[in-house]
Amino acid sequence: MTAVSPKRAWWTPDIPKSPLMRRRMLWAYAFISLPILALLVFLLGPILFSGWVSLHRWDMLSPVSEMPWRGLGNYVFLLTKDKVFAKALGNTFLFAIGGVGANTILGLGFALLLNSRIRGQRVWRVLYFMPVITAPLALAVMFSFIFDRNFGVVNSFITSLGLPRQPFLSAPSQVLMTLIFIAVYQFVGYYIVIFLAGLQGIPQDYYDAAQVDGAGKWQEFRFITLPLLKPVMLFVVVTNTIGALQVFDLVFATTGGAPANSSMTVVLHMYNTAFKFSRMGRASAMAFILFGIILLITILQVRLLRDRAYQD
Amino acid sequence: MIQSDHPLGGFATALKYIVLVGGAFVMVFPFVWMLIASLMTAGEIQLRPPVWLPATPQFNNYAELVESIPIARLYFNSLFTSGIIVFGVLLSSSLAGFAFAKYRFPGRELLFYLILATMMIPFFVTLIPVFFIVRQLGWIDTYQGLVIPGLTSAYGIFLMRQFMITVPDEIIDAARIDGASELSIYWRIVLPLIKPALATLGTFVFIGAWNNFLWPLLVLNSRELMTLPLGINSLRSLYADNTNLLMAGTAVSVLPMLFVFIYLQRYFIQGIALTGLKG
Repeated sequence: MTAVSPKRAWWTPDIPKSPLMRRRMLWAYAFISLPILALLVFLLGPILFSGWVSLHRWDMLSPVSEMPWRGLGNYVFLLTKDKVFAKALGNTFLFAIGGVGANTILGLGFALLLNSRIRGQRVWRVLYFMPVITAPLALAVMFSFIFDRNFGVVNSFITSLGLPRQPFLSAPSQVLMTLIFIAVYQFVGYYIVIFLAGLQGIPQDYYDAAQVDGAGKWQEFRFITLPLLKPVMLFVVVTNTIGALQVFDLVFATTGGAPANSSMTVVLHMYNTAFKFSRMGRASAMAFILFGIILLITILQVRLLRDRAYQD
Repeated sequence: MIQSDHPLGGFATALKYIVLVGGAFVMVFPFVWMLIASLMTAGEIQLRPPVWLPATPQFNNYAELVESIPIARLYFNSLFTSGIIVFGVLLSSSLAGFAFAKYRFPGRELLFYLILATMMIPFFVTLIPVFFIVRQLGWIDTYQGLVIPGLTSAYGIFLMRQFMITVPDEIIDAARIDGASELSIYWRIVLPLIKPALATLGTFVFIGAWNNFLWPLLVLNSRELMTLPLGINSLRSLYADNTNLLMAGTAVSVLPMLFVFIYLQRYFIQGIALTGLKG
Protein backbone atom coordinates (compact mmCIF):
# COMPACT_ATOMS: atom_id res chain seq x y z
CA MET A 1 0.00 0.00 0.00
CA THR A 2 1.95 3.09 1.11
CA ALA A 3 5.68 3.26 1.64
CA VAL A 4 5.32 2.86 5.40
CA SER A 5 3.61 -0.47 5.61
CA PRO A 6 5.15 -3.04 7.94
CA LYS A 7 3.86 -6.58 7.66
CA ARG A 8 0.71 -6.57 9.70
CA ALA A 9 -2.60 -8.36 9.54
CA TRP A 10 -5.45 -6.18 8.37
CA TRP A 11 -7.42 -6.50 11.58
CA THR A 12 -4.75 -5.24 14.01
CA PRO A 13 -5.16 -1.57 14.85
CA ASP A 14 -2.44 0.72 13.59
CA ILE A 15 -2.57 3.68 15.97
CA PRO A 16 0.12 6.26 15.26
CA LYS A 17 2.25 7.17 18.26
CA SER A 18 3.12 10.84 17.92
CA PRO A 19 0.48 13.53 18.57
CA LEU A 20 1.17 14.97 15.12
CA MET A 21 0.39 11.67 13.48
CA ARG A 22 -2.76 11.35 15.59
CA ARG A 23 -3.96 14.72 14.41
CA ARG A 24 -3.47 13.55 10.83
CA MET A 25 -5.38 10.41 11.66
CA LEU A 26 -8.32 12.54 12.74
CA TRP A 27 -8.16 14.37 9.43
CA ALA A 28 -8.31 11.06 7.62
CA TYR A 29 -11.42 10.10 9.57
CA ALA A 30 -12.93 13.45 8.74
CA PHE A 31 -12.24 12.87 5.03
CA ILE A 32 -13.82 9.44 4.93
CA SER A 33 -16.71 10.05 7.35
CA LEU A 34 -19.36 11.34 4.96
CA PRO A 35 -18.58 9.01 2.04
CA ILE A 36 -18.55 5.99 4.35
CA LEU A 37 -21.76 7.10 6.01
CA ALA A 38 -23.41 7.45 2.60
CA LEU A 39 -22.23 4.00 1.55
CA LEU A 40 -23.62 2.55 4.78
CA VAL A 41 -27.00 4.22 4.30
CA PHE A 42 -27.42 3.68 0.55
CA LEU A 43 -25.51 0.46 -0.11
CA LEU A 44 -24.59 -1.73 2.84
CA GLY A 45 -27.66 -1.08 4.93
CA PRO A 46 -29.96 -1.61 1.95
CA ILE A 47 -28.36 -4.90 0.92
CA LEU A 48 -28.83 -6.29 4.43
CA PHE A 49 -32.37 -4.96 4.57
CA SER A 50 -33.07 -6.42 1.15
CA GLY A 51 -31.92 -9.83 2.33
CA TRP A 52 -34.21 -9.53 5.36
CA VAL A 53 -37.17 -8.47 3.22
CA SER A 54 -36.62 -11.42 0.89
CA LEU A 55 -37.57 -13.70 3.80
CA HIS A 56 -40.90 -11.94 4.32
CA ARG A 57 -44.10 -10.91 2.64
CA TRP A 58 -44.18 -7.13 2.36
CA ASP A 59 -46.07 -4.54 0.34
CA MET A 60 -43.93 -1.58 1.52
CA LEU A 61 -47.02 0.08 2.99
CA SER A 62 -47.41 -1.99 6.16
CA PRO A 63 -44.87 -1.27 8.93
CA VAL A 64 -41.53 -3.06 8.69
CA SER A 65 -42.02 -4.56 12.17
CA GLU A 66 -45.18 -6.35 11.06
CA MET A 67 -43.93 -8.09 7.93
CA PRO A 68 -45.17 -11.70 7.94
CA TRP A 69 -42.25 -14.16 8.00
CA ARG A 70 -42.01 -16.48 5.01
CA GLY A 71 -38.60 -18.05 5.57
CA LEU A 72 -37.30 -19.31 2.27
CA GLY A 73 -40.84 -19.37 0.88
CA ASN A 74 -40.16 -16.63 -1.68
CA TYR A 75 -37.09 -18.44 -2.98
CA VAL A 76 -38.92 -21.77 -3.15
CA PHE A 77 -41.82 -20.16 -4.99
CA LEU A 78 -39.53 -18.47 -7.53
CA LEU A 79 -37.46 -21.54 -8.23
CA THR A 80 -40.30 -24.04 -8.41
CA LYS A 81 -43.57 -22.29 -9.27
CA ASP A 82 -42.96 -18.90 -10.90
CA LYS A 83 -43.02 -19.73 -14.62
CA VAL A 84 -42.38 -16.12 -15.61
CA PHE A 85 -39.25 -16.04 -13.48
CA ALA A 86 -37.95 -19.23 -15.08
CA LYS A 87 -38.68 -17.77 -18.50
CA ALA A 88 -37.01 -14.50 -17.51
CA LEU A 89 -33.91 -16.30 -16.28
CA GLY A 90 -33.64 -18.26 -19.52
CA ASN A 91 -34.12 -15.14 -21.65
CA THR A 92 -31.59 -13.19 -19.59
CA PHE A 93 -28.99 -15.95 -20.02
CA LEU A 94 -29.56 -16.14 -23.77
CA PHE A 95 -29.41 -12.38 -24.04
CA ALA A 96 -26.12 -12.28 -22.09
CA ILE A 97 -24.52 -15.17 -23.97
CA GLY A 98 -25.43 -13.77 -27.37
CA GLY A 99 -24.47 -10.22 -26.49
CA VAL A 100 -21.17 -11.05 -24.80
CA GLY A 101 -20.17 -13.41 -27.60
CA ALA A 102 -20.93 -10.91 -30.33
CA ASN A 103 -19.41 -7.97 -28.48
CA THR A 104 -16.19 -9.86 -27.82
CA ILE A 105 -15.75 -11.14 -31.36
CA LEU A 106 -16.80 -7.91 -33.07
CA GLY A 107 -14.97 -5.75 -30.54
CA LEU A 108 -11.71 -7.62 -31.03
CA GLY A 109 -12.21 -7.89 -34.79
CA PHE A 110 -12.75 -4.19 -35.31
CA ALA A 111 -9.98 -3.31 -32.87
CA LEU A 112 -7.59 -5.45 -34.93
CA LEU A 113 -8.75 -3.68 -38.08
CA LEU A 114 -8.27 -0.25 -36.53
CA ASN A 115 -4.89 -1.23 -35.12
CA SER A 116 -3.54 -2.03 -38.58
CA ARG A 117 -2.44 0.67 -40.99
CA ILE A 118 -5.74 2.47 -41.40
CA ARG A 119 -6.38 6.11 -42.15
CA GLY A 120 -8.70 8.22 -40.01
CA GLN A 121 -8.44 6.23 -36.77
CA ARG A 122 -10.06 9.01 -34.81
CA VAL A 123 -13.04 9.32 -37.13
CA TRP A 124 -13.76 5.60 -37.03
CA ARG A 125 -13.52 5.49 -33.27
CA VAL A 126 -15.92 8.42 -32.89
CA LEU A 127 -18.47 6.86 -35.25
CA TYR A 128 -18.39 3.50 -33.51
CA PHE A 129 -18.53 5.12 -30.10
CA MET A 130 -21.60 7.30 -30.65
CA PRO A 131 -24.19 4.79 -29.38
CA VAL A 132 -22.17 4.15 -26.21
CA ILE A 133 -22.91 7.61 -24.85
CA THR A 134 -26.52 7.71 -26.05
CA ALA A 135 -29.25 6.97 -23.51
CA PRO A 136 -30.33 3.31 -23.77
CA LEU A 137 -33.89 4.55 -23.59
CA ALA A 138 -33.45 6.77 -26.65
CA LEU A 139 -31.89 3.89 -28.59
CA ALA A 140 -34.76 1.65 -27.56
CA VAL A 141 -37.23 4.15 -28.99
CA MET A 142 -35.22 4.57 -32.20
CA PHE A 143 -34.93 0.83 -32.77
CA SER A 144 -38.57 0.09 -31.93
CA PHE A 145 -39.33 2.23 -34.96
CA ILE A 146 -36.50 0.89 -37.13
CA PHE A 147 -37.56 -2.72 -36.52
CA ASP A 148 -41.30 -2.00 -36.60
CA ARG A 149 -43.21 -4.77 -38.34
CA ASN A 150 -45.28 -2.41 -40.50
CA PHE A 151 -43.45 0.88 -40.87
CA GLY A 152 -39.88 -0.01 -39.92
CA VAL A 153 -37.10 0.90 -42.31
CA VAL A 154 -35.54 -2.57 -42.08
CA ASN A 155 -38.77 -4.09 -43.36
CA SER A 156 -39.01 -1.41 -46.05
CA PHE A 157 -35.61 -2.51 -47.22
CA ILE A 158 -36.39 -6.23 -47.01
CA THR A 159 -39.68 -5.92 -48.87
CA SER A 160 -38.13 -3.74 -51.56
CA LEU A 161 -35.84 -6.70 -52.27
CA GLY A 162 -38.96 -8.84 -52.70
CA LEU A 163 -38.43 -10.74 -49.43
CA PRO A 164 -41.16 -11.35 -46.85
CA ARG A 165 -41.74 -8.88 -44.03
CA GLN A 166 -40.18 -9.92 -40.67
CA PRO A 167 -41.84 -9.43 -37.27
CA PHE A 168 -38.57 -8.75 -35.34
CA LEU A 169 -39.65 -7.42 -31.92
CA SER A 170 -43.21 -8.68 -32.24
CA ALA A 171 -42.57 -12.43 -32.57
CA PRO A 172 -41.27 -14.74 -29.84
CA SER A 173 -38.92 -16.38 -32.33
CA GLN A 174 -37.09 -13.17 -33.24
CA VAL A 175 -37.44 -10.82 -30.31
CA LEU A 176 -34.35 -11.92 -28.37
CA MET A 177 -32.13 -11.84 -31.44
CA THR A 178 -33.34 -8.33 -32.21
CA LEU A 179 -32.70 -7.17 -28.65
CA ILE A 180 -29.22 -8.70 -28.72
CA PHE A 181 -28.55 -6.82 -31.95
CA ILE A 182 -29.56 -3.53 -30.35
CA ALA A 183 -27.46 -4.20 -27.24
CA VAL A 184 -24.42 -5.08 -29.33
CA TYR A 185 -25.00 -1.99 -31.47
CA GLN A 186 -24.99 0.07 -28.30
CA PHE A 187 -21.88 -1.30 -26.61
CA VAL A 188 -19.54 -2.70 -29.25
CA GLY A 189 -17.83 0.69 -29.62
CA TYR A 190 -16.86 0.61 -25.96
CA TYR A 191 -15.26 -2.80 -26.33
CA ILE A 192 -13.48 -1.77 -29.52
CA VAL A 193 -11.84 1.07 -27.59
CA ILE A 194 -10.87 -1.24 -24.72
CA PHE A 195 -9.42 -3.88 -27.06
CA LEU A 196 -7.64 -1.22 -29.07
CA ALA A 197 -5.96 0.11 -25.94
CA GLY A 198 -4.95 -3.45 -25.07
CA LEU A 199 -3.53 -4.06 -28.54
CA GLN A 200 -1.55 -0.84 -28.44
CA GLY A 201 -0.07 -1.94 -25.12
CA ILE A 202 1.61 -4.98 -26.70
CA PRO A 203 5.25 -4.10 -27.45
CA GLN A 204 6.11 -4.04 -31.15
CA ASP A 205 9.35 -5.96 -30.36
CA TYR A 206 7.39 -9.19 -29.97
CA TYR A 207 6.03 -8.92 -33.49
CA ASP A 208 9.43 -7.97 -34.88
CA ALA A 209 10.98 -11.00 -33.21
CA ALA A 210 8.23 -13.25 -34.53
CA GLN A 211 8.75 -11.94 -38.04
CA VAL A 212 12.45 -12.70 -37.79
CA ASP A 213 11.46 -16.24 -36.88
CA GLY A 214 9.21 -16.35 -39.92
CA ALA A 215 5.84 -16.36 -38.15
CA GLY A 216 2.76 -15.69 -40.27
CA LYS A 217 -0.07 -13.29 -39.43
CA TRP A 218 -2.21 -16.03 -37.92
CA GLN A 219 0.65 -17.32 -35.80
CA GLU A 220 1.36 -13.80 -34.56
CA PHE A 221 -2.29 -13.46 -33.57
CA ARG A 222 -2.51 -16.89 -31.97
CA PHE A 223 0.77 -16.85 -30.05
CA ILE A 224 1.38 -13.18 -29.30
CA THR A 225 -1.78 -11.08 -29.53
CA LEU A 226 -4.27 -13.49 -27.99
CA PRO A 227 -2.21 -14.57 -24.94
CA LEU A 228 -1.12 -11.02 -24.16
CA LEU A 229 -4.67 -9.78 -24.55
CA LYS A 230 -6.06 -12.16 -21.94
CA PRO A 231 -6.34 -9.64 -19.09
CA VAL A 232 -8.24 -7.32 -21.42
CA MET A 233 -10.39 -10.21 -22.61
CA LEU A 234 -11.16 -11.07 -19.00
CA PHE A 235 -12.20 -7.49 -18.29
CA VAL A 236 -14.41 -7.35 -21.38
CA VAL A 237 -16.13 -10.67 -20.77
CA VAL A 238 -16.71 -10.09 -17.05
CA THR A 239 -17.99 -6.52 -17.24
CA ASN A 240 -20.12 -7.27 -20.27
CA THR A 241 -21.69 -10.33 -18.64
CA ILE A 242 -22.43 -8.45 -15.44
CA GLY A 243 -24.01 -5.62 -17.40
CA ALA A 244 -26.02 -7.83 -19.76
CA LEU A 245 -27.54 -9.86 -16.94
CA GLN A 246 -28.99 -6.61 -15.54
CA VAL A 247 -30.62 -5.37 -18.74
CA PHE A 248 -33.68 -3.23 -18.07
CA ASP A 249 -34.09 0.04 -20.01
CA LEU A 250 -33.84 -1.55 -23.44
CA VAL A 251 -36.48 -4.21 -22.78
CA PHE A 252 -38.74 -1.87 -20.83
CA ALA A 253 -39.00 0.58 -23.71
CA THR A 254 -39.08 -1.81 -26.67
CA THR A 255 -41.25 -4.78 -25.74
CA GLY A 256 -41.97 -4.55 -22.02
CA GLY A 257 -41.27 -8.30 -21.96
CA ALA A 258 -43.83 -9.10 -24.69
CA PRO A 259 -44.86 -11.08 -26.69
CA ALA A 260 -45.96 -13.67 -24.12
CA ASN A 261 -42.96 -13.00 -21.85
CA SER A 262 -40.60 -14.11 -24.62
CA SER A 263 -38.41 -11.10 -23.88
CA MET A 264 -39.06 -10.85 -20.14
CA THR A 265 -35.80 -10.38 -18.25
CA VAL A 266 -35.04 -10.83 -14.56
CA VAL A 267 -34.69 -7.16 -13.63
CA LEU A 268 -37.83 -6.22 -15.57
CA HIS A 269 -39.77 -9.02 -13.85
CA MET A 270 -38.36 -7.83 -10.54
CA TYR A 271 -39.41 -4.25 -11.30
CA ASN A 272 -42.95 -5.38 -12.17
CA THR A 273 -43.19 -7.63 -9.11
CA ALA A 274 -42.05 -4.85 -6.80
CA PHE A 275 -43.51 -1.69 -8.23
CA LYS A 276 -46.61 -2.91 -10.06
CA PHE A 277 -47.71 -5.72 -7.78
CA SER A 278 -46.13 -4.52 -4.51
CA ARG A 279 -44.57 -7.90 -3.69
CA MET A 280 -41.35 -6.60 -2.18
CA GLY A 281 -40.38 -9.90 -0.54
CA ARG A 282 -40.60 -11.87 -3.73
CA ALA A 283 -38.86 -9.15 -5.75
CA SER A 284 -36.01 -8.98 -3.21
CA ALA A 285 -35.58 -12.76 -3.40
CA MET A 286 -35.37 -12.40 -7.18
CA ALA A 287 -32.68 -9.77 -6.78
CA PHE A 288 -30.67 -12.05 -4.53
CA ILE A 289 -30.96 -15.02 -6.86
CA LEU A 290 -29.68 -12.91 -9.76
CA PHE A 291 -26.96 -11.39 -7.58
CA GLY A 292 -25.85 -14.88 -6.59
CA ILE A 293 -25.78 -15.97 -10.22
CA ILE A 294 -23.76 -12.91 -11.18
CA LEU A 295 -21.20 -13.55 -8.43
CA LEU A 296 -20.94 -17.21 -9.41
CA ILE A 297 -20.48 -16.50 -13.10
CA THR A 298 -17.92 -13.79 -12.37
CA ILE A 299 -15.87 -16.12 -10.17
CA LEU A 300 -16.06 -18.87 -12.81
CA GLN A 301 -14.98 -16.55 -15.61
CA VAL A 302 -12.09 -15.13 -13.60
CA ARG A 303 -10.91 -18.64 -12.73
CA LEU A 304 -11.26 -19.94 -16.24
CA LEU A 305 -9.63 -17.08 -18.08
CA ARG A 306 -6.93 -16.48 -15.51
CA ASP A 307 -5.86 -20.12 -15.34
CA ARG A 308 -5.69 -20.31 -19.10
CA ALA A 309 -3.58 -17.17 -19.09
CA TYR A 310 -1.09 -18.82 -16.77
CA GLN A 311 -0.92 -21.98 -18.82
CA ASP A 312 0.19 -20.21 -21.97
CA MET B 1 0.66 4.57 -45.79
CA ILE B 2 -1.86 2.41 -47.57
CA GLN B 3 0.63 0.63 -49.77
CA SER B 4 1.62 -2.78 -48.55
CA ASP B 5 4.52 -5.13 -49.13
CA HIS B 6 2.20 -8.09 -49.45
CA PRO B 7 1.17 -9.10 -53.00
CA LEU B 8 -2.47 -9.20 -51.91
CA GLY B 9 -1.95 -6.02 -49.87
CA GLY B 10 -4.06 -3.77 -52.06
CA PHE B 11 -6.97 -6.15 -51.99
CA ALA B 12 -6.70 -6.78 -48.23
CA THR B 13 -6.56 -3.07 -47.54
CA ALA B 14 -9.61 -2.44 -49.70
CA LEU B 15 -11.46 -5.19 -47.84
CA LYS B 16 -10.55 -3.60 -44.50
CA TYR B 17 -12.00 -0.28 -45.58
CA ILE B 18 -15.14 -1.95 -46.90
CA VAL B 19 -15.72 -3.66 -43.53
CA LEU B 20 -15.03 -0.43 -41.64
CA VAL B 21 -17.36 1.59 -43.85
CA GLY B 22 -20.07 -1.06 -43.55
CA GLY B 23 -19.74 -1.05 -39.78
CA ALA B 24 -19.78 2.73 -39.63
CA PHE B 25 -22.90 2.80 -41.81
CA VAL B 26 -24.70 0.51 -39.34
CA MET B 27 -23.60 2.71 -36.44
CA VAL B 28 -24.62 6.02 -37.99
CA PHE B 29 -27.74 4.98 -39.88
CA PRO B 30 -30.15 4.83 -36.89
CA PHE B 31 -29.28 8.44 -36.02
CA VAL B 32 -29.70 9.58 -39.61
CA TRP B 33 -32.97 7.73 -39.96
CA MET B 34 -34.24 9.30 -36.75
CA LEU B 35 -33.52 12.73 -38.24
CA ILE B 36 -35.11 11.91 -41.60
CA ALA B 37 -38.22 10.45 -40.00
CA SER B 38 -38.49 13.45 -37.69
CA LEU B 39 -38.92 15.63 -40.80
CA MET B 40 -41.62 13.48 -42.41
CA THR B 41 -45.36 13.86 -42.11
CA ALA B 42 -47.21 11.22 -40.10
CA GLY B 43 -48.63 9.97 -43.40
CA GLU B 44 -45.26 9.62 -45.14
CA ILE B 45 -43.99 7.29 -42.43
CA GLN B 46 -46.82 4.87 -43.15
CA LEU B 47 -46.70 4.98 -46.96
CA ARG B 48 -46.43 1.79 -48.97
CA PRO B 49 -44.27 1.41 -50.90
CA PRO B 50 -42.08 3.29 -48.39
CA VAL B 51 -40.53 6.67 -49.12
CA TRP B 52 -36.91 7.28 -48.12
CA LEU B 53 -37.09 11.07 -47.83
CA PRO B 54 -39.82 13.55 -46.96
CA ALA B 55 -41.34 15.41 -49.94
CA THR B 56 -40.77 18.66 -48.06
CA PRO B 57 -38.94 18.63 -44.71
CA GLN B 58 -41.49 19.25 -41.96
CA PHE B 59 -39.56 21.54 -39.62
CA ASN B 60 -42.92 22.26 -38.09
CA ASN B 61 -42.67 18.93 -36.27
CA TYR B 62 -40.08 20.46 -33.98
CA ALA B 63 -42.26 23.49 -33.30
CA GLU B 64 -45.13 21.18 -32.46
CA LEU B 65 -42.85 19.17 -30.17
CA VAL B 66 -41.74 22.24 -28.25
CA GLU B 67 -45.38 23.15 -27.69
CA SER B 68 -46.32 19.78 -26.24
CA ILE B 69 -43.38 19.09 -23.92
CA PRO B 70 -41.20 21.49 -21.91
CA ILE B 71 -37.89 20.67 -23.61
CA ALA B 72 -35.95 23.45 -21.91
CA ARG B 73 -37.19 22.30 -18.53
CA LEU B 74 -36.16 18.70 -19.26
CA TYR B 75 -32.70 19.91 -20.22
CA PHE B 76 -32.39 22.01 -17.12
CA ASN B 77 -33.44 19.10 -14.89
CA SER B 78 -31.02 16.69 -16.54
CA LEU B 79 -28.13 19.16 -16.42
CA PHE B 80 -28.84 20.28 -12.87
CA THR B 81 -29.20 16.83 -11.34
CA SER B 82 -26.35 15.27 -13.33
CA GLY B 83 -24.14 18.24 -12.44
CA ILE B 84 -24.80 17.87 -8.72
CA ILE B 85 -24.19 14.13 -8.88
CA VAL B 86 -20.87 14.63 -10.71
CA PHE B 87 -19.77 17.26 -8.21
CA GLY B 88 -20.77 15.10 -5.25
CA VAL B 89 -19.09 11.96 -6.53
CA LEU B 90 -15.87 13.80 -7.41
CA LEU B 91 -15.71 15.50 -4.02
CA SER B 92 -16.59 12.47 -1.88
CA SER B 93 -14.48 10.03 -3.90
CA SER B 94 -11.41 12.23 -3.94
CA LEU B 95 -11.62 13.02 -0.21
CA ALA B 96 -12.05 9.39 0.77
CA GLY B 97 -9.53 8.23 -1.84
CA PHE B 98 -7.01 10.73 -0.45
CA ALA B 99 -7.46 9.40 3.08
CA PHE B 100 -7.09 5.78 1.94
CA ALA B 101 -4.04 6.53 -0.20
CA LYS B 102 -2.05 8.87 2.00
CA TYR B 103 -3.01 8.43 5.66
CA ARG B 104 -2.52 5.75 8.28
CA PHE B 105 -5.42 5.13 10.59
CA PRO B 106 -6.89 2.16 12.44
CA GLY B 107 -9.47 0.36 10.34
CA ARG B 108 -8.06 1.58 7.05
CA GLU B 109 -7.65 -1.86 5.50
CA LEU B 110 -10.94 -3.14 6.84
CA LEU B 111 -12.83 -0.14 5.48
CA PHE B 112 -11.06 -0.37 2.15
CA TYR B 113 -12.01 -4.04 1.79
CA LEU B 114 -15.55 -3.02 2.62
CA ILE B 115 -15.48 -0.52 -0.24
CA LEU B 116 -14.09 -3.12 -2.64
CA ALA B 117 -16.93 -5.43 -1.63
CA THR B 118 -19.63 -2.80 -2.12
CA MET B 119 -18.26 -2.09 -5.60
CA MET B 120 -19.63 -5.47 -6.61
CA ILE B 121 -23.20 -4.80 -5.47
CA PRO B 122 -25.42 -4.26 -8.51
CA PHE B 123 -27.99 -1.47 -8.39
CA PHE B 124 -31.00 -3.77 -8.55
CA VAL B 125 -30.18 -5.42 -5.23
CA THR B 126 -30.48 -2.16 -3.33
CA LEU B 127 -33.25 -0.64 -5.45
CA ILE B 128 -36.19 -1.56 -3.21
CA PRO B 129 -34.60 -0.55 0.12
CA VAL B 130 -33.20 2.71 -1.24
CA PHE B 131 -36.60 3.54 -2.67
CA PHE B 132 -38.10 2.77 0.74
CA ILE B 133 -35.57 5.00 2.52
CA VAL B 134 -36.18 7.85 0.11
CA ARG B 135 -39.92 7.47 0.59
CA GLN B 136 -39.62 7.44 4.38
CA LEU B 137 -37.60 10.65 4.15
CA GLY B 138 -40.43 12.21 2.15
CA TRP B 139 -38.17 12.71 -0.85
CA ILE B 140 -40.36 11.13 -3.50
CA ASP B 141 -40.82 13.51 -6.39
CA THR B 142 -37.99 15.83 -5.29
CA TYR B 143 -34.55 16.65 -6.64
CA GLN B 144 -32.92 15.42 -3.44
CA GLY B 145 -34.58 12.03 -3.79
CA LEU B 146 -33.17 11.74 -7.28
CA VAL B 147 -29.70 13.00 -6.41
CA ILE B 148 -28.68 12.16 -2.86
CA PRO B 149 -28.47 8.35 -3.15
CA GLY B 150 -26.06 8.86 -6.06
CA LEU B 151 -23.61 11.25 -4.42
CA THR B 152 -21.10 8.60 -3.40
CA SER B 153 -19.60 5.82 -5.42
CA ALA B 154 -17.52 2.92 -4.14
CA TYR B 155 -15.97 2.63 -7.58
CA GLY B 156 -15.09 6.33 -7.49
CA ILE B 157 -13.34 6.00 -4.12
CA PHE B 158 -11.42 2.99 -5.41
CA LEU B 159 -10.39 4.78 -8.60
CA MET B 160 -9.28 7.94 -6.78
CA ARG B 161 -7.26 5.94 -4.28
CA GLN B 162 -5.49 4.09 -7.09
CA PHE B 163 -4.46 7.35 -8.71
CA MET B 164 -3.58 9.21 -5.51
CA ILE B 165 -1.27 6.42 -4.40
CA THR B 166 0.98 7.38 -7.32
CA VAL B 167 1.44 10.90 -5.93
CA PRO B 168 4.90 10.85 -4.27
CA ASP B 169 4.88 11.15 -0.48
CA GLU B 170 7.86 13.52 -0.71
CA ILE B 171 5.71 16.24 -2.30
CA ILE B 172 3.18 15.96 0.50
CA ASP B 173 5.84 15.95 3.22
CA ALA B 174 7.54 18.96 1.68
CA ALA B 175 4.25 20.84 1.70
CA ARG B 176 3.73 19.94 5.36
CA ILE B 177 7.17 21.26 6.23
CA ASP B 178 6.22 24.49 4.49
CA GLY B 179 3.27 24.66 6.83
CA ALA B 180 0.46 23.64 4.53
CA SER B 181 -2.68 22.35 6.21
CA GLU B 182 -4.06 18.91 5.38
CA LEU B 183 -6.96 20.49 3.52
CA SER B 184 -4.73 22.67 1.40
CA ILE B 185 -2.51 19.69 0.60
CA TYR B 186 -5.63 17.94 -0.69
CA TRP B 187 -6.93 20.94 -2.59
CA ARG B 188 -3.72 22.60 -3.87
CA ILE B 189 -1.37 19.67 -4.38
CA VAL B 190 -3.08 16.33 -4.76
CA LEU B 191 -6.19 17.35 -6.71
CA PRO B 192 -4.28 19.22 -9.45
CA LEU B 193 -1.98 16.22 -9.88
CA ILE B 194 -4.83 13.82 -10.56
CA LYS B 195 -6.85 16.08 -12.86
CA PRO B 196 -6.96 13.50 -15.69
CA ALA B 197 -8.42 10.89 -13.35
CA LEU B 198 -10.96 13.40 -12.07
CA ALA B 199 -11.96 14.26 -15.62
CA THR B 200 -12.39 10.59 -16.47
CA LEU B 201 -14.44 9.75 -13.40
CA GLY B 202 -16.51 12.89 -13.93
CA THR B 203 -17.24 11.92 -17.52
CA PHE B 204 -18.36 8.42 -16.55
CA VAL B 205 -20.55 9.65 -13.75
CA PHE B 206 -22.04 12.34 -15.95
CA ILE B 207 -22.98 9.94 -18.75
CA GLY B 208 -24.41 7.50 -16.21
CA ALA B 209 -26.50 10.15 -14.48
CA TRP B 210 -27.58 11.82 -17.73
CA ASN B 211 -28.78 8.54 -19.25
CA ASN B 212 -30.17 7.03 -16.05
CA PHE B 213 -33.77 5.95 -16.45
CA LEU B 214 -34.90 3.45 -13.82
CA TRP B 215 -34.19 5.54 -10.72
CA PRO B 216 -35.81 8.75 -12.01
CA LEU B 217 -38.74 6.64 -13.22
CA LEU B 218 -39.30 5.41 -9.67
CA VAL B 219 -38.65 8.63 -7.80
CA LEU B 220 -40.15 11.37 -9.98
CA ASN B 221 -43.79 11.87 -10.86
CA SER B 222 -44.36 15.49 -11.78
CA ARG B 223 -43.64 16.93 -15.20
CA GLU B 224 -41.69 19.83 -13.72
CA LEU B 225 -38.95 17.54 -12.42
CA MET B 226 -38.66 15.11 -15.34
CA THR B 227 -35.24 14.41 -16.83
CA LEU B 228 -34.66 13.79 -20.55
CA PRO B 229 -35.00 9.98 -20.54
CA LEU B 230 -38.28 10.33 -18.64
CA GLY B 231 -39.39 12.89 -21.22
CA ILE B 232 -38.72 10.48 -24.07
CA ASN B 233 -40.56 7.78 -22.17
CA SER B 234 -43.62 9.98 -21.79
CA LEU B 235 -43.49 10.79 -25.52
CA ARG B 236 -43.79 7.07 -26.29
CA SER B 237 -47.41 7.07 -25.19
CA LEU B 238 -48.17 10.67 -26.16
CA TYR B 239 -47.00 10.11 -29.75
CA ALA B 240 -47.90 6.45 -30.15
CA ASP B 241 -49.44 7.36 -33.53
CA ASN B 242 -47.05 10.16 -34.47
CA THR B 243 -43.73 8.46 -34.90
CA ASN B 244 -42.39 11.53 -36.71
CA LEU B 245 -42.89 13.63 -33.56
CA LEU B 246 -41.52 10.86 -31.36
CA MET B 247 -38.35 10.85 -33.50
CA ALA B 248 -38.15 14.65 -33.29
CA GLY B 249 -38.29 14.39 -29.52
CA THR B 250 -35.64 11.69 -29.43
CA ALA B 251 -33.41 13.72 -31.77
CA VAL B 252 -33.69 16.82 -29.60
CA SER B 253 -32.72 14.86 -26.51
CA VAL B 254 -29.89 12.88 -28.09
CA LEU B 255 -28.10 15.12 -30.57
CA PRO B 256 -26.69 17.88 -28.32
CA MET B 257 -24.97 15.25 -26.17
CA LEU B 258 -23.52 13.70 -29.32
CA PHE B 259 -22.09 17.04 -30.42
CA VAL B 260 -20.48 17.54 -27.03
CA PHE B 261 -19.02 14.07 -27.32
CA ILE B 262 -17.62 14.66 -30.81
CA TYR B 263 -16.05 17.90 -29.58
CA LEU B 264 -14.46 16.27 -26.52
CA GLN B 265 -14.02 12.76 -27.95
CA ARG B 266 -10.28 12.54 -27.29
CA TYR B 267 -10.75 12.85 -23.53
CA PHE B 268 -13.69 10.47 -23.47
CA ILE B 269 -11.89 7.71 -25.31
CA GLN B 270 -8.55 8.11 -23.58
CA GLY B 271 -10.30 8.04 -20.23
CA ILE B 272 -12.18 4.89 -21.06
CA ALA B 273 -9.08 3.10 -22.22
CA LEU B 274 -7.29 4.28 -19.06
CA THR B 275 -9.82 3.18 -16.47
CA GLY B 276 -10.92 0.12 -18.38
CA LEU B 277 -7.44 -1.27 -18.16
CA LYS B 278 -6.90 -0.17 -14.58
CA GLY B 279 -10.13 -1.67 -13.35
